[in-house]
Amino acid sequence: MPEWKKAGNLIVSETAALKDFIGKDIAHVLVDLRKTETAEKGYIQGAVSIPAAALAAAKDRFPADKTAPIILYSEKEDEAAYRTVTGWGYKNTSVLSGGLAAWKKDSGKLVSGKLTTAISYVPKPRPGEIAIEEFKALAEKGDPKKIILDVRDRDEAMNGMIIGAVNIPAGELHDRMKELPKDKEIITHCVTGIRAESAYDDLKEAGYKVKFLNAIIQIDKEGKYEITKK
Amino acid sequence: MVRKLSVPIAVLAIFAAVIGTAGLTYAGKPTVASACRQCHPAQDKVIRGNFVSATEKFKTLQVAVGSLVWVVKYGDDLKIAGADSLAAVPKDKEVAVTYTGEEKTPYAVSLSVKPPAQIPDEKQVKTDEMQKLVEMGPEKGNYILFDARPAPRFNEGHVPFAVSFPQPAFDKLKDRLLPKEKDKLLIFYCGGVT
Repeated sequence: MPEWKKAGNLIVSETAALKDFIGKDIAHVLVDLRKTETAEKGYIQGAVSIPAAALAAAKDRFPADKTAPIILYSEKEDEAAYRTVTGWGYKNTSVLSGGLAAWKKDSGKLVSGKLTTAISYVPKPRPGEIAIEEFKALAEKGDPKKIILDVRDRDEAMNGMIIGAVNIPAGELHDRMKELPKDKEIITHCVTGIRAESAYDDLKEAGYKVKFLNAIIQIDKEGKYEITKK
Repeated sequence: MVRKLSVPIAVLAIFAAVIGTAGLTYAGKPTVASACRQCHPAQDKVIRGNFVSATEKFKTLQVAVGSLVWVVKYGDDLKIAGADSLAAVPKDKEVAVTYTGEEKTPYAVSLSVKPPAQIPDEKQVKTDEMQKLVEMGPEKGNYILFDARPAPRFNEGHVPFAVSFPQPAFDKLKDRLLPKEKDKLLIFYCGGVT
């Protein structure tokens, strides 16, 4: 996927995903690229009105955080708008798959009236995220009531693990969950937080007390580590 | 009755013959774990399986081949590839052990740890080929593109026409998502470093 994006190719997001963003109140930026008067007749909840013709001039209205998920929609998929926004460095830009037509077909709700023209984006921690400082304190001192679970593959774990951590690769977690106690809090980590979050989801669903580290972590052979915010 | 019995016996004989070629030594101990067999045929004096442990005191190491555990003696002359020491080999890690001596009293010559998997060039789809396929669409292009990342990542945006197929849930989803037609090109992608 990084190669695909780097080559400037289109990224889309599904209507179901947008519904999930709206339903779960996950921070995102939704841009309606149609003419304002068209948009006012029926737009997707939370959308900001920036007509495609005015997009290039609207650069400064976009958030400072280049990792903000930005979803663009119009009647159809607008590739030109996608290129403009990714060109500004927004790494998580996508176009609503199938455009507004797909949204309507998928019985997505529309609201009518005046749209805001100002983007407001406040990043929120993802559910289950542990604060980096809290993770560090745990890695340094340990806690008899908590377990650090390293969900990287064995190849990665053998090059160094946090002292006291337990390794169960994310792909094996489903079958090996029973090895983990339910009366302790489990804190998962991987390299970037991606597998850690999927392990979090699985453990949460199975009734475990769990959190995950949503950051980049490098660990050396001595168990020394470095955490960087994403 | 006699005719009926002969069938299972014949089946057993074939079964034994198949197993025999698939990694059993003459004494009948399996030497290659089923997962390793996908790429490695059985070889004389080579055990392929999952590392169990090494006992420094007795100078023995254990390798599991399916449910059977090989106990192999070793000495200071043991050559180790892919790890600094036996202690650094994680439990369950795939290893190959070459030994000398009898099967009953094997002595390890070398132990190599499975390196991370590498995908050969001919099995990779380059970005420009992918662009052409996306232009055609999955129907015309006769392919299915799977996004192996966790669902929340898929939700944040994906390659057009991709189907979400998170890798940790592979076994759970495979029957539902993999097509019945075996001639379809299946392409997987992920997010690079995770």
